[in-house]
Amino acid sequence: MTQTLLNLLAIAVPLAVGFASLFAFTTWLERKILARIQNRIGPNRISLPFTRFRRLFGLIQPAADGLKMLAKEDIVPRDADKLLHLLAPILSLVPPMMVLCLLPLELPYATAGMRALQAAALDNAVLLFFAITSLNTLAVFMAGWASRNKYSLLGGMRAVAQMVSYEIPLVLSAAVVIMAAGGMNAQAIVEAQRAQWFIFTPWGLAAFLIFFIASLAETNRSPFDLPEAESEIIAGYFTEYSGFKFALFFLGEYLAIFAVSGLAVTLFLGGGAGPWVAAYPALSCVWFLAKIFALIFVMIWLRGTLPRLRVDQLMGFAWKFLLPLSLLNLFVAAAALKLAKPWLSWPVGALVLYGAAVALSRSHRADAAPRTYSYAE
Amino acid sequence: MIEGVAFYILSTVAVLGALLAVSRRNLVHGVFALLLFFAALSGLFVMLMADYVAAVQVLVYVGAVGILQLFAIMLTEHVTGDDLRRLGARGWFWGLMLAVALPVVLLLPPLLNGEPPVPPAAPQSTARQLGSQLMEHYVVPLEVLALLLTGALIGAVAVAHGPEKDPPGKDRPA
Amino acid sequence: MRLLGFGILKGMAVTLENFVRSYFDRDRRHHLFTKEYAWEPGAPAEVLPARADTTVTAHSRNFPILLHDGADPMGGIRCVACQICERECPPQCIYIEKDYDEQGKYIKRPAIFDIDLSVCMSCQICVEVCPFDAIVMDSQFELSTANRFGGLLQHRDQLLKSNEYYHRIHPEEARARDDRMAQEKAEKEAKQAAADAAKKKAAEAKAAAEIAAEKSKPEPSAPTAGGAA
Repeated sequence: MTQTLLNLLAIAVPLAVGFASLFAFTTWLERKILARIQNRIGPNRISLPFTRFRRLFGLIQPAADGLKMLAKEDIVPRDADKLLHLLAPILSLVPPMMVLCLLPLELPYATAGMRALQAAALDNAVLLFFAITSLNTLAVFMAGWASRNKYSLLGGMRAVAQMVSYEIPLVLSAAVVIMAAGGMNAQAIVEAQRAQWFIFTPWGLAAFLIFFIASLAETNRSPFDLPEAESEIIAGYFTEYSGFKFALFFLGEYLAIFAVSGLAVTLFLGGGAGPWVAAYPALSCVWFLAKIFALIFVMIWLRGTLPRLRVDQLMGFAWKFLLPLSLLNLFVAAAALKLAKPWLSWPVGALVLYGAAVALSRSHRADAAPRTYSYAE
Repeated sequence: MIEGVAFYILSTVAVLGALLAVSRRNLVHGVFALLLFFAALSGLFVMLMADYVAAVQVLVYVGAVGILQLFAIMLTEHVTGDDLRRLGARGWFWGLMLAVALPVVLLLPPLLNGEPPVPPAAPQSTARQLGSQLMEHYVVPLEVLALLLTGALIGAVAVAHGPEKDPPGKDRPA
Repeated sequence: MRLLGFGILKGMAVTLENFVRSYFDRDRRHHLFTKEYAWEPGAPAEVLPARADTTVTAHSRNFPILLHDGADPMGGIRCVACQICERECPPQCIYIEKDYDEQGKYIKRPAIFDIDLSVCMSCQICVEVCPFDAIVMDSQFELSTANRFGGLLQHRDQLLKSNEYYHRIHPEEARARDDRMAQEKAEKEAKQAAADAAKKKAAEAKAAAEIAAEKSKPEPSAPTAGGAA
């Protein structure tokens, strides 16, 4: 039993610590990329203490940020619900931490005993993933409600509406992969993509795009960052949080991004598959993380490109566009998997899905026309 | 040993959550306590080797039903949660009777038989089994349920839709 | 046919180009706005931001100004007080009143044109809707005042800037605007000339027809109303 406990710790501690430090790196990465997109330099001032290293590209910045967060005063509004106000940041951190263990990450030092303990080996890993991430909504609502602030409550309600709506296309697009792999075991899904990654099929590509868009909304990333829209509702549900509680929200948000990107890599991008993995199995972990960071780069890139959606556009997009498309994709995938002539799947599948997407976007276009004026004569 | 400790912790949390859910006057607190109960229940399902049911318990009850209740509360006047009024219901007596009667009824057959029920061996792949059962043996009830839910959905839309309003985008004069 | 999602890809291409070229490109279009360590003593002069007219780069946009042609601000004011910008302004920071002469006749210029800079969100919509090229964006950013109430309410005469000033702060944009205005004017004149010519021709033809009609009818024509049109 001691061995089991030790094995558990050997898996859980590196995951938690490793992803937390990757979080620090990602905040730096995001600030740097956004700065370069906007023709700025980004953080570059913090130097290593007691050394003559001047810049290091500002890589020490996250440490300084963390220190600042720790040193800040913890402010709780007078009328806030003290208990729930305290619990919300903790609850926002727990689900992403839990689902990180569900990723089929092959730790290079893992023994057979450790591997058996990894939650990715569970029969219902993907279902558990969705179940646990849905708890995040509760944390957001709890924070928004407990703060007793109208901006917080608005942000919380926006978050709940958005996360509940986008969870459906998210799950439906993942269902396609479950259908193709014949199970919800994360390791089996990676195994099923040995011959061909699912993204290289028409239904897989469509499902990946839907999944990616929906995961942007699930993690409140731009252009779906309405719950924390700074220009509209200050910071949404964490307006009333300061110091380390705010840092916990921040950490939870980034861990959720890691988790959902990791799931996308598992479902569509072949998990840890990549060149030279057969020769050096330790590379599998590196490839997995590299794919996660490729997705995160696209997320940051999108944040630097797109403006925020309006609330009605947000809801319409989920219910009128993504949902019908992901339902159609289920049928396309079923047909493609049972098709007698596999070469037909690309032209027919792409045509049907693209045609449906165009038709859907046409039918819901707002009837806005440029306004006309009669000039003063 | 671990199983025993886990069972008692989970059961205590579940009972506490249920008690808090019915006793708290603050509606939002009540819902969160109920969600705690649901979460503990899903832990108990895990202990019964029913991980699929546990996941569904979290997904449906904590994720969907709880959110729905919170949403419903937010649409009422009890948004702040400090409304201290209470319904003058005198149902506590019958509720208590029901709470006592239920375990008795459930435990009666094994007690009469004189031997505790033997749990069946935990199945290997619960999701696959459930799926094939639903699609083969129980396909007609499943379809009937689906039809019923669709009807309810359409009815809800019809009730909520109300009279026609002006299309959006025309609220500002040109 | 417009491809679905193509606009997003196009936008992403723009931002990616900015991202990549910010590392390699040293020309004016893609250089970094932030000057690294510009404040350090001994920094070369070209590193320090230029302060003349407070234009940092040709890309900076802050708040709207009104343009006038020539030296006299009120003589060459382009604004005709049509109030389109006032109506379109999302935060409604523009206030306009039309100007009238002694007879109460509307003369095409504003009597009052106020912009509240504490409300303006620099969206540039007023610039886009203006049919007279009268309002453009300034790059002046040092606007702090000691007067908390009304200090940021800019009046017509503060807002009026010459076209030369505009050429100095946004040379490319100003040139393009001038070219377009000249072209539009030429087109309008050509159209007007064509219309005049057509009118003249029609009148001549009519006159010729009337003469012909008179010739074909020897007796004096009845007083018909048809000729008056």
